[in-house]
Amino acid sequence: MRMALAGNPNSGKTTLFNAITGRIEPVGNWPGVTVEKKEGHLLDRLNPTSEDILAVDLPGAYSLSPYTSEESVTRDFIRNEHPDVLINVVDATSLSRSLFLTTQLLELGIPVVVALNKSDRTARKGDTIRIDLLSKRLGCPVIETVATKARHNGLPRLVEAAVEAARRGTQAAPVIDGIREVAAQDMAQQADRARFEFVRSIVEDVERRTTSPDQLTRQDRWDRVLAHKWLGPLLFVGVIWFIFWVSQSTVGPWLADTFVGWLEAFQEWVRGFMADVHPLVASLLVDGILGGVIAVVGFLPLIMVMFFLMALFEDCGYMARVAVVMDRHFKKIGLSGRSVIPMVLGTACAIPGIMATRTIKNERQRRTTAMLTPFMPCGAKLPIIALFAGAFFPGNVWIGPSMYLLGIVLIIGSAVLVRRITGDTSRSHFIMELPEYRIPSVRRAAVSMLSRGRAFVVKAGTVILVCNAVVHILQTFDWRFRVVAEDAVHTSILASVAGPVAWLLIPLGFGIWQFAAAAITGFIAKENVVGTLAVTFGIANFIDVEAAFAIGSVAALSYLVFNLFSPPCFAAIGAIRAEVDSTRWTLGAVAFQLAVGYTLAFLTYQGGTLLTLGRVGDGFVGGLVAVLVMAGILAILAAKGGRKPLPEPVAPQAAPHVAPHVAPQKEAGA
Amino acid sequence: MALSRGKLNTPYVIQQIHAAQEDLRDFLFTLGCYPGEKITILSKLSGHYIVSIRNARYSIDESLAEAIFV
Repeated sequence: MRMALAGNPNSGKTTLFNAITGRIEPVGNWPGVTVEKKEGHLLDRLNPTSEDILAVDLPGAYSLSPYTSEESVTRDFIRNEHPDVLINVVDATSLSRSLFLTTQLLELGIPVVVALNKSDRTARKGDTIRIDLLSKRLGCPVIETVATKARHNGLPRLVEAAVEAARRGTQAAPVIDGIREVAAQDMAQQADRARFEFVRSIVEDVERRTTSPDQLTRQDRWDRVLAHKWLGPLLFVGVIWFIFWVSQSTVGPWLADTFVGWLEAFQEWVRGFMADVHPLVASLLVDGILGGVIAVVGFLPLIMVMFFLMALFEDCGYMARVAVVMDRHFKKIGLSGRSVIPMVLGTACAIPGIMATRTIKNERQRRTTAMLTPFMPCGAKLPIIALFAGAFFPGNVWIGPSMYLLGIVLIIGSAVLVRRITGDTSRSHFIMELPEYRIPSVRRAAVSMLSRGRAFVVKAGTVILVCNAVVHILQTFDWRFRVVAEDAVHTSILASVAGPVAWLLIPLGFGIWQFAAAAITGFIAKENVVGTLAVTFGIANFIDVEAAFAIGSVAALSYLVFNLFSPPCFAAIGAIRAEVDSTRWTLGAVAFQLAVGYTLAFLTYQGGTLLTLGRVGDGFVGGLVAVLVMAGILAILAAKGGRKPLPEPVAPQAAPHVAPHVAPQKEAGA
Repeated sequence: MALSRGKLNTPYVIQQIHAAQEDLRDFLFTLGCYPGEKITILSKLSGHYIVSIRNARYSIDESLAEAIFV
């Protein structure tokens, strides 16, 4: 049996889904958190049957006529996959809008059960909804739920009702006056009007409100501060700064120090067991595999602290306000306020950030946002920042957060450039629902933190572990599979492969094969940068890194910048490919990111060297030529784009208004 | 008149939506924003209009507020 969850954005579908399946899918208090279909098995303790029940969580939609692409996911699933029962999650606080979708769902012939969610909020406001009457008028069961609560949340009753409805197997649509005639005439809009009239008459009968919806509330007073013209952006930067400062400069490192101590004790404990083992194998296990993994896992506390704070941020309702505040600024660079959401999400992992661009309507804005989201350093890049900032700039609390600011600056500059190159200056209207604020749940944030932290450890124990082992083997042997001598490491397979790449990196200040190898393995997963450095330099604790790495702080900063702002990992490139849905855009994005990373590192190293030593660094001329060539190509593209005739005002290429009631009605009428 | 010239906290009845894109009009429709419905501006923030339509709050930008006639 399959039950699908459908409902308006931000009505609490994913929270409900997590509660009935035990899954930990990301939730947040803004419209558009879920952009793809999620499946999970119903928890046994909620399952009244002996068979397996699959729950399907769908992106939020205001109707079955999709406006943005994530809404199409929902429409396509409901119409093509035909689930056994639909759980329509309805936000009890905005009944009159939510029931519009309900009337559409009721006409599909699939049994519907309404979950009247957030019912604690209506009660708190003193509003009442007559459940029995609502159920009678709609012709389907209505169950009050509070998906955020652990107990007395109405979920067992909801599941029971859904199973019962699925067994019934059919759904009678409520009779909506006038809809039958207009359906025949295929005047969808008039049919929709009839739906709204029907909904209005129901809401008038079942809902008693004590407050007028147009009254100013405490929410609005919060908005006046958080979405203020200039106070808003300032507060946003302040909040982001605070999150990174706490996770990377204060609480995070403090926890990490203790944690790394334990990890090293563990490594030595393992080494003790290896006394009788062949030294090559022991070294592979202890230094290669374990050392590399420990080097990465050691940064877990920083990442967990950041994930915890980000979860609080996403839970309180502030995200939608950030989109509003940033809209006017992002419009100036050809993006939309909505572009800010993928970028904020991208600080945890670029992939969900890139996928979140689906909520952006305008195609160029969506593609540009997907391509630029990786400029926000993700969680996997955090160890790189922490390592280089900690080792080369001890006590400096600026390096970490300023990398995020640099990312923002790059996004702004790049967005202007992309708009120029595409020659597309189209603007789009902005509309976004503002959810109610709520006090963020520490429990939800802790769950989210543990789940993301677990994923990080699992990745370190699988992908990263294998990569470290491979790196260790490649640097231990030469091409004839002889063990390389201690003083001849440059003859190893790894060194000879990475060597030519390192030559290209000389103008950036780190033309050393170990650094080149780490940058290359970084494309598999960015955690590998730290892991590979640990393995190739044979260090795990990163305490006296400066001496081990044999590069100066200017080159270290250049390497940091290069890794943060060059193309993301392959998985993220794949996500970009999927979202922009164009090979040209994908290749363009990767080439552009490579150019940005190289140029920025070049400027950092050569400029820094000039400032500190009064002369340019190695490979200046060669690097300059490369940078000028890249800049030249971009300039030509931009000039071409600028000359492009403005595209004809595109005829509204709206999908024909989908009238979901037509097909079932015809069948019923036959 | 365009909604962008409307006063705060005054319920207006929507007369017409002047949006070029048909899909945007359809989308607004599904929110209950169509001729004959009520709309109230609650505040103006950061160049945006915070409006109340059918008990829900939305933030719309200036250009959209200019396209909604009340």
